[in-house]
Amino acid sequence: MTTTVHAPPTTPESTEPERGNWHGANFPTQIVVLTGRSLRAMLKDPQIVVFSLLHPLIMLTLFSQVFGKALMGSIAAQTDSYINYLMPAILVTTGIGAALQSGVGLVTDMKNGVIGRFRALPIRMGSVLIARSLADLFRTALQLVILLLAATALFGFSPEGGLAGTVSAWLLALLVSWSLAWVFLAIASWVRKEEVMQSIGFVAMFPLMFASSAFVPLDALPGWLRVVARVNPLTYAVDASRDLCLALPVGAGVWSAVGTSVMLLAIGAAFAVRGFRRPL
Amino acid sequence: MTRPPIEVDHVSKEFGRFRALDDVSLAVPRGSVLGLLGHNGAGKTTLVNILSTLSPPTSGTARVAGYDVVRESRSVCSRIGLTGQFAAVDEQLSGLDNLVLIARLLGAGKRAATRRAEELLQLFELTEAAKRPARSYSGGMRRRLDLAASLVGRPDVIFLDEPTTGLDPSSRMGLWQIVETLVDDGTTVLLTTQYLDEADRLADSITVLSSGKVIASGTAEELKAEVGQRTASATLADPADAERALSALTAHGLNPVHDQERHVVSAPVDSSRELAVVVRALDEAGVEVDGLGLGEPTLDDVYLTLTGHSTGSAVRSEERKNT
Ligand SMILES: Nc1ncnc2c1ncn2[C@@H]1O[C@H](COP(=O)(O)OP(=O)(O)O)[C@@H](O)[C@H]1O
Ligand SMILES: [Mg+2]
Repeated sequence: MTTTVHAPPTTPESTEPERGNWHGANFPTQIVVLTGRSLRAMLKDPQIVVFSLLHPLIMLTLFSQVFGKALMGSIAAQTDSYINYLMPAILVTTGIGAALQSGVGLVTDMKNGVIGRFRALPIRMGSVLIARSLADLFRTALQLVILLLAATALFGFSPEGGLAGTVSAWLLALLVSWSLAWVFLAIASWVRKEEVMQSIGFVAMFPLMFASSAFVPLDALPGWLRVVARVNPLTYAVDASRDLCLALPVGAGVWSAVGTSVMLLAIGAAFAVRGFRRPL
Repeated sequence: MTRPPIEVDHVSKEFGRFRALDDVSLAVPRGSVLGLLGHNGAGKTTLVNILSTLSPPTSGTARVAGYDVVRESRSVCSRIGLTGQFAAVDEQLSGLDNLVLIARLLGAGKRAATRRAEELLQLFELTEAAKRPARSYSGGMRRRLDLAASLVGRPDVIFLDEPTTGLDPSSRMGLWQIVETLVDDGTTVLLTTQYLDEADRLADSITVLSSGKVIASGTAEELKAEVGQRTASATLADPADAERALSALTAHGLNPVHDQERHVVSAPVDSSRELAVVVRALDEAGVEVDGLGLGEPTLDDVYLTLTGHSTGSAVRSEERKNT
């Protein structure tokens, strides 16, 4: 290794920068390049996409077997098959799980030094966060499409709302997922501990999922659980998704879900950028 | 620009009530290497983080490439390269993609970015592994990729935080050569290390940091002259000779120490002439010796001389002496 590191910058066809000639890409380019990096990593390692599909697929199988018959009576007003009732909820819960993964991933990146390297580059830290949330949104969108196809092919999912209803429910689930991703990114940038992020998932999200209308109608829940489920925001997100998917009358529910998501997104983003800028 | 590329002026850094850096000042002239020498916890990484804009000083000012690290951090960022203590490569991306990513973020177009990446891969002998994900790289390859990543933008100033810790001797030499090439080309380097021999080999001047304070600075020669002492050590052919060897050396005015595990008797000596004294003393006492050596002063010796108390391995040899 005796060659010189820098070829003389005067060579006419040299594309290399002279010292300090590259002063940082512009903001949109930063976002595009960083999003591309995450997507590329995902394509090279599709295990993660497949693996995170296992959980919702198991839930689909299990719940449709366990509750399928028993609940037919109480959901009859909404749809004529449990899988149609369940699927809009699975879209939302899977989206929320993906949002949590966004936060966990950020903490991992902070730990392994990649973020440290980005910090010493002339780029805006906001673009690192935006790129992560976009790449994760893309991954979630893909996961939900695969889930929908699997549910249709394997479990006979055919909602009353048809393709239009399903697509709107899909979009709503993505919005909910994206907004919560920003909330988790905010938590991740302030807390910066893997264990904490994981336990938020376990301690907070898991019970909330069951104390909601996600898997059984509110009326079928025991009294105290029904009280919790009624104030659980997840219930409202799931109900909104169901309204769209099952062609039920779309009322204020959908719009308040959209409004709440947008609000959470704005608050999450503001805190995330602020927290992320703090020195390591 | 006539100012030195790295200027640190009365910088302190506190974490809560703990003072990690205490009134540190230094300057590194263009095209030279400063070796920042200190044990674990001395504050080396803290200073590197401040200079590379990762964290602000609690008080004092620092300028890199002529820009203030707090107020003009973006200008600093586009002129520095940082190789942190732990290799910061994206494990999932290939070596090539890692470098292209950095170049693109710095503002290079696709083609220019690829060309720069390939050039660096070749220089660091990573061309063959270019397309493999970095997670499959060995420790030495990762270090090289990490260093390559910090050179993408042809920085004026580079920071290397313990670049050879954990590397095997040949990777270590390879890295030293790369650093030397960079310096020949006019790059200013601040390098932290725990090893006196590394600082000795690479650095034009050395600053010794202890508990966040600068306790000495100068060239390697100046530091060694200050320490003065080297260590003569003899490996005993017969461990039972230890007592005899110790008393023979003591009789010649030396201050010997016995390492029972390795059957080595050693003593600080002032010049190579005193090595002859050691040989003669052992010979006269009829002690048979397997090997003889004259050790260079270590960071511990420097600490011991400068601060009057020892740390790390020096403490361990004290303990050995007492048992
Ligand atoms: N973020 C931090 N919060 C609290 N203490 C810290 C932090 N970073 C470093 N320290 C402390 O500052 C001291 C110097 O650390 P560091 O600069 O990493 O030392 P070195 O790199 O020389 O081993 C250590 O005692 C370390 O525990
Ligand atoms: Mg360190």
